Amino acid sequence: MGELTLEIAINTRVSIPKWIYFNLTEYEPSVRILFFHILWLTRSSGTFLLLKNKIDSRQQHNILWHLNNITIVRFKIIGIFLLLNIFQMGSLKFYSGSFGKPELLHLLRRTLFGVKKSDLLFFEGKSLNEVIDYLIDGPVALPPPPLRTYYNNVNPALDTMDKVNINGNVQTIVNFGETWVDKPIQTNFLAGSSNARRQNLKNWWIGLQVNQDRQVYEKLIMFYQTLLVTEDAVLESPHMMYTTQSLYRKYAFGNYKELIKAISLDAGMLKYLNGEKNTKTAPDENYGRELQELFCVGKGPDSAYTENDVQEAARVLTGWYVIYKEKINSVDTFIVPKSAFNQGNHDTGIKQFSAFYGNKKIEPNLSIVDPSPFSDLNTKIAYDELEQMIDMIFETQEVSKYICRRLWNYFVYYDINATIEAEIIEPLSEIFRQNVDHPDQMKIVLKALFSSDLFFQNIHRACMIKSPDDFVVGMIRQLDFPLPGASQLEAQYYMWGVMRTHMFNEGQDINNPPNVAGWPAYYQTPSYHELWMDTSNYPIRIGTYEAFTKSNFVLDKNNTYDGANNPSYGFITKMNFVEFVKTFDNPADPNDLIEEATTLILAVPLSQGVKDALKTNYLLLGQLSDYYWTDVWTTYSTDQNTTDPSAKKVPIMLQDLFNYLMSSAEYHLS
Amino acid sequence: MKRRSFIKSVPIALGGLTIQAYANNSLLSSLSNSLTDTDRILIIIQLGGGNDGLNTLIPLDQYSALSLPSVRQNILIPENKVLKLAGTNGATGLHPSMNRIFDLYNDGKLAIIQGVGSPKFSYSHFRATDIWMTGSDPDEIINSGWAGRYLANEFPNYPVGFPNASNPDPLAIRMGGNIVLGLQNQGVPMGIAVSTANDPLNLNGTLFTDPPTNDYMGKEVAYVRELQRQTDKFGDAVKGAADKGANLSSLYPKLPADPGYLMGQQLATVAKLISGGIKTRIFWLTTSGFDTHSGQVVTNDHTIGTHANLLKGVSDAIGAFMDDAKLLGFEDRVAGMTFSEFGRRIISNASGGTDHGAAQPVFIFGSKVIPGIVGNNPTIDPNSNTNSNLPMQYDLRSVYASILADWFCVEQPALDQILFKNFQKLPILDPANCISTYVHEENKKAGESIIMAYPNPCVNSTKIKFETKGGFTLVQLINNEGTVIQDIVSKVMQAGIFEVDCDMQILPAGLYYVRIQNGPLQQVKSVLKLRE
Repeated sequence: MGELTLEIAINTRVSIPKWIYFNLTEYEPSVRILFFHILWLTRSSGTFLLLKNKIDSRQQHNILWHLNNITIVRFKIIGIFLLLNIFQMGSLKFYSGSFGKPELLHLLRRTLFGVKKSDLLFFEGKSLNEVIDYLIDGPVALPPPPLRTYYNNVNPALDTMDKVNINGNVQTIVNFGETWVDKPIQTNFLAGSSNARRQNLKNWWIGLQVNQDRQVYEKLIMFYQTLLVTEDAVLESPHMMYTTQSLYRKYAFGNYKELIKAISLDAGMLKYLNGEKNTKTAPDENYGRELQELFCVGKGPDSAYTENDVQEAARVLTGWYVIYKEKINSVDTFIVPKSAFNQGNHDTGIKQFSAFYGNKKIEPNLSIVDPSPFSDLNTKIAYDELEQMIDMIFETQEVSKYICRRLWNYFVYYDINATIEAEIIEPLSEIFRQNVDHPDQMKIVLKALFSSDLFFQNIHRACMIKSPDDFVVGMIRQLDFPLPGASQLEAQYYMWGVMRTHMFNEGQDINNPPNVAGWPAYYQTPSYHELWMDTSNYPIRIGTYEAFTKSNFVLDKNNTYDGANNPSYGFITKMNFVEFVKTFDNPADPNDLIEEATTLILAVPLSQGVKDALKTNYLLLGQLSDYYWTDVWTTYSTDQNTTDPSAKKVPIMLQDLFNYLMSSAEYHLS
Repeated sequence: MKRRSFIKSVPIALGGLTIQAYANNSLLSSLSNSLTDTDRILIIIQLGGGNDGLNTLIPLDQYSALSLPSVRQNILIPENKVLKLAGTNGATGLHPSMNRIFDLYNDGKLAIIQGVGSPKFSYSHFRATDIWMTGSDPDEIINSGWAGRYLANEFPNYPVGFPNASNPDPLAIRMGGNIVLGLQNQGVPMGIAVSTANDPLNLNGTLFTDPPTNDYMGKEVAYVRELQRQTDKFGDAVKGAADKGANLSSLYPKLPADPGYLMGQQLATVAKLISGGIKTRIFWLTTSGFDTHSGQVVTNDHTIGTHANLLKGVSDAIGAFMDDAKLLGFEDRVAGMTFSEFGRRIISNASGGTDHGAAQPVFIFGSKVIPGIVGNNPTIDPNSNTNSNLPMQYDLRSVYASILADWFCVEQPALDQILFKNFQKLPILDPANCISTYVHEENKKAGESIIMAYPNPCVNSTKIKFETKGGFTLVQLINNEGTVIQDIVSKVMQAGIFEVDCDMQILPAGLYYVRIQNGPLQQVKSVLKLRE
């Protein structure tokens, strides 16, 4: 194509608006080569460059080789009005179709818990890349910890929770409204608060979901719990559950291998999968097995680790255990459980792995001399063995494929057929592997997933059965259900608890998956997501939307902690559909209202015939003219105390409409 | 309201608290065996939009006034085309397109009530519809339907514990739409919605749902819909009745373009379900388009046009249904009524139509009606102006009282409780062979009671006993307008039976409801507060 003069810039951050997609595979080779060349020359530069370019085939080879190490690059070419954003090597096909409201909604429904009108307004008009950059951006700081809202008597003087009696002096260890996460429960507490803290932690988590930022972050945290399971009911330790979740959060957008290393020594995991009992004289294979089968390698067609590999992995992990107590001022005191290492219980022999792992041998590296970050050299050497093993596991392709399959299943759909395997799992796992040591690995992988062509194809829209968590939290968010604010702490946790109960009854007790494999909806063939719904829990879902669309939620101030002395305590709330609909673009027009309501509430598009039927039935009450609704809406929205009997029906008409939408089969799909 | 003074005089309890001393087993079995034969069915046909009664039931003796250009000359049916009703000395007739209804009249299967309405009319479609649906006073907002209240009175535990062995079928069915207010009781729908016989729960319906697409989305939509069908406790019963039932009449409108095709299809479904043994008591159907503000007749032939087609549709569909009922052998068990939210103005407007009006004729059909016309032709003032309306001769609640008492055999004081007052009964249905009180008592016990108030009636306070299956439980006290007065319980609870006090001291005397919501379960029971 001869010589071209181009001015380009590399954008290292999100800020340039109006990026557009540019799929290089659609361009003739000479143009691609040009771009590769630019990319190569500028990959580490943040400055403007002026290039004159002519490439021979040897250079071309070099460029391709380099590109294998680059996954995301943005640059723009001012000279020919082309702005480029992400493109990646490998064969992952990126979405290049139009990015309108349906595509935006699809993306938001899968990445957020429900889509609020305000979310839509926020993102509308932005390009796919801008939206993705916003949705997937991290690292995210740890959220404020859970706060004490539990008690066994509303009268602070009579409440005995988190209190101790020292020589006749009653001291409160955790005050109401303070966090308990750094205050382990001691045997001398006047009342046990373990169960209360466990519930409090679950409620806190739901609160984080409800109040999520416009980020995939909270859905991603739940993804990690579906994958790297510990069970609240088994551990019975709010502190362990909190610590494990903090790991999910720390590594959410980070490096998966680092997360696996950290979670292998997580106190909760060491207890849950018997790592603390895994010694050289009595090896326990539990964690060594699940590390491979459920957390890393999976059981895909090309997974070929052996029983011997399980046993050898267990040997590598011998000696690690959990410390629950320490002597503080010579008193046995419970601490936040943490992991520790006992050299006497560690198997220092050679661990021989199978051909699947390249016949890798793992043994203590006695040349290590620096114990940091541990205080003890033996601990460091044992940790090095663990790192060797996890590095070994991550050298197989299977890890990347397994995690990418789980991501696709969790965020998109469960049918992973030959096409998905070839066009998504393969190229996405390649990106996973290319970035296996990248500190932003998961961020890179998620960005690729959510910009892929197949993610946006019609066949993958509105086909995911909502989990109870997505059903309940998503409903609250999409309706902008009026919840108490931070000034009403107890009421906040109370409402989160109500939501938790609904999810629980629908079959998802968060923090408490049914077993180490997690919830069957994410692994059980052939039904997968359909397992979230059956004839026994379907009526519970009905009860949920019935309650949140029709009922008052009341917390009597006299039934709250110290509420009798605090005028602002207590709470009453109810869905207000009139206020909700007022946020719509044109609520006075029944056609616009139906269009917006159905688009916002249902992922499945409805035919015009159904929309018309909904309008006639719910907004025109069987009449023919649109002005019937316009009249009553105008009257009622202007004066909610109107005495006009028809206009007074507006709230119930809207309630019936939304209730109907929620009663549809379509409502259960995302 | 005057209703309060009536309520004060109600002597006995509501809702499943009276214990009757019928323990004779042979009596029990003979009664339950005969239930199917004596079970009576009501078909309610709602004509949406406001039907022009004066062009439906035509007072031929008023033609000197009606034919004036200032009255309704531009839409009047020619006198010689009107189907004159026997026994009226040629003074009253039907619109010429209503030949099937005319046949029913001649067969002694039609009663017509002249001038039915409310003591105070509303020209609003919504308000007027509500008044018909609820049977409320004109200035009163009520959150329950008259038919819904009847069913709740007969089956106070519904829907908890339903279906059950003696009540396998839905109490009421709304054909082709959602549950109307008329079938609601304080937020509890007393029936289910069904679209067609072959697809009773509208799995492939097109009215409110699109057919599933042929992709992942369609697969999951179909999955959830099947779940809904299985979960819908009545789904199989309805489908079973549809599979067993049949249609024998050849009179149903045949082509989609034929007037009354849709209503005919819906009535054919009803006939099929009834012949298939369904024990549903009330079927509710709606057809709309009666809001004929303009062009209700063809200018050069007033016997045809929009209104003629609407009436022909209703007439043909009802005629076919009654023919089917006779052929299928359940003719004696069905009665039907038509109503519209209002009639139309006496004088027509310049665009060849009529505007919202007041009283209207109501048609009651069935082989057990007392045939004939109740009431008189209206007197049309030649000086009628745009404000002139047909006056009410009978309160619409008199029609309901007659149906409830003489067709559903509702006794006092339940009748007055359902309608809030004592209304004059009209001689339109044969009260013979009413089911025994014993059956009412059995119905009251059907299902599972998860909430009740006692004492009931009460004076200043009552106790509410309720059962929760665990989880979030809401117990509310609701007034007759549907406003929540108090959340008595609103919290997560362990499963069990509980009792709470309910202080009603400051509340005015009258009818209240206690409502429990616990997961998918909800139940509403009435509580009567008496004056001290």
